[in-house]
Amino acid sequence: MVRTADTARHPALTATMVAMTTTAAPATTPVVGFDQVTKTYGDVRAVDGLSLRLYPGETVALLGPNGAGKSTTLDLLLGLKPADGGTVSLFGTSPREAIVAGRVGAMLQSGGLMDGVTVAELVKLSCSLHPRPYPVSDVLARAGIAAIADRKVDKLSGGQAQRVRFALATAGDSDLIILDEPTTGMDVSARQAFWATMREQADQGRTVLFATHYLEEADAIADRVLVLHRGRLLADGTAAEIKAKAGDRRVSFDLEGAIDETALRGLPFLTSIDVSGQTVRIQSSDADATVHGLYGLGVYPRNLEVAGLGLEQAFVAITAAEEAKQS
Amino acid sequence: MNSLIKLEVSRALRNRKFLFFSVIYPAGLFLLIAGGSDGHDKIDGTGLTLPTYMMVSMASFGALTAVLMGNSERIAKERESGWVRQLRLTTLPGRGYVLAKTASAAVVSLPSIVVVFVVAAAVKDVRLDAGQWLGLTGAIWAGSLVFAALGVALGYLASGDAVRPITMIIYFGLSMLGGLWMPTTTFPQWLQDIAEWLPTHAYASLGRAIEESRAPHAQDLTVLAVSFVLFAGGAAWLYRKDTLKA
Repeated sequence: MVRTADTARHPALTATMVAMTTTAAPATTPVVGFDQVTKTYGDVRAVDGLSLRLYPGETVALLGPNGAGKSTTLDLLLGLKPADGGTVSLFGTSPREAIVAGRVGAMLQSGGLMDGVTVAELVKLSCSLHPRPYPVSDVLARAGIAAIADRKVDKLSGGQAQRVRFALATAGDSDLIILDEPTTGMDVSARQAFWATMREQADQGRTVLFATHYLEEADAIADRVLVLHRGRLLADGTAAEIKAKAGDRRVSFDLEGAIDETALRGLPFLTSIDVSGQTVRIQSSDADATVHGLYGLGVYPRNLEVAGLGLEQAFVAITAAEEAKQS
Repeated sequence: MNSLIKLEVSRALRNRKFLFFSVIYPAGLFLLIAGGSDGHDKIDGTGLTLPTYMMVSMASFGALTAVLMGNSERIAKERESGWVRQLRLTTLPGRGYVLAKTASAAVVSLPSIVVVFVVAAAVKDVRLDAGQWLGLTGAIWAGSLVFAALGVALGYLASGDAVRPITMIIYFGLSMLGGLWMPTTTFPQWLQDIAEWLPTHAYASLGRAIEESRAPHAQDLTVLAVSFVLFAGGAAWLYRKDTLKA
């Protein structure tokens, strides 16, 4: 798929994308505008006063653990759910207007497929519903489903169904592509192939927003990462910045005899410590230096383990850091 | 929207089980019930022979099957699978989905009506004027919209495992009590009093009025109109509720 016209429309695109950071906020209409958006289910604030702007050409990862409010955020963004408070805009209009204008293509986790029809028929339907459709064969080829075009939709594997969803989201010339955990159900190679396809979309100047709970995916694909936790925006920066923030490592070991906690607290780069019985668990922003300091205390740590934080713990680390900053 | 209608129709025409039940089954049932009758005895309270009477009943029953069964279960299933959500991310207008479902059901209900007529005319020598045949087809086809709206309402009301039994109970209840399988005159009086207020009863009596070349009863027209308003209103309300929830 060649989009020469679009490349001409965004001549400085490649350069911008490389240089793009959160501070590079051009004075154009934002692709996505969230202003103090709130959504509550019963007692749960799924989205809590969320404000954000996305600009043309950005590839943005919406990162967060399960239950962080990613899917709700995308639902609000697409107008599938009404916000309880605040305003949501796409291209300066309502989500529905933007969809009707064919500016948005979206692939939802919860988006089902029509069964009893073939893959090609479904893609053809999607093309015919788009104001600026691509040829069906191109859409099939790009999504990597040309070989299964004649297969019935209800006979697909999870990964194949995801590719069909992707095809539906990219059936026409949209400016914004939204993908909710698109690689769910794909194996590693399918995942890589998928992200290559998606990068093509971004390279054509589209704004791409995808939700994921894999830090690695956000790191590899996105030039901007939004970290969502309990419906609030915790961090907004490049993947490198986020990784640095969540880059703490966990050091754990056992000590014999009385434990001098005060001495341990003085270890370099220590961000938190937890002593239970003979086991000490430390979080450190520089594990090498912390372990080096540990031996400097003259103790003999046993069962020493150094591990990266899981994403879940990384979020806790970022949250703790944010809260410390606020107080 | 036309593309969705087209796809819905071709999917319906591919579904052999659905086609059997809505197109072949009513005609088969007609032969089973009217097949042994001599075509001279008149049904109590009407000037119609059994084949003529049952032809309208079975055509109505076929149309009912096509629109009710076609809509309710599909809608409930596709609501659950998220297909309805996916369609909301397209340029398709909000009601387009329901309209496409109803239109495709109507495409299947037309042959189910016509097949009963053809079988009745060919096998049981039912004879009507050309105008009556056309009027009858039009009335039964148009009247099926009432039940298409009911099917949509059920599809938005129930979900998952519940939708099939609920639809079945309503479908068989309406068919049997409305007199589509046997004349309601064979019912005990108290049941007849209930039956005459059912939309299926009004539906079939509309067809019989055309066969008898008389004006339809005002009560039947009212029952159909009120049912349509109730079902369509209910469907619209449930649809809006579902949209806010999804």
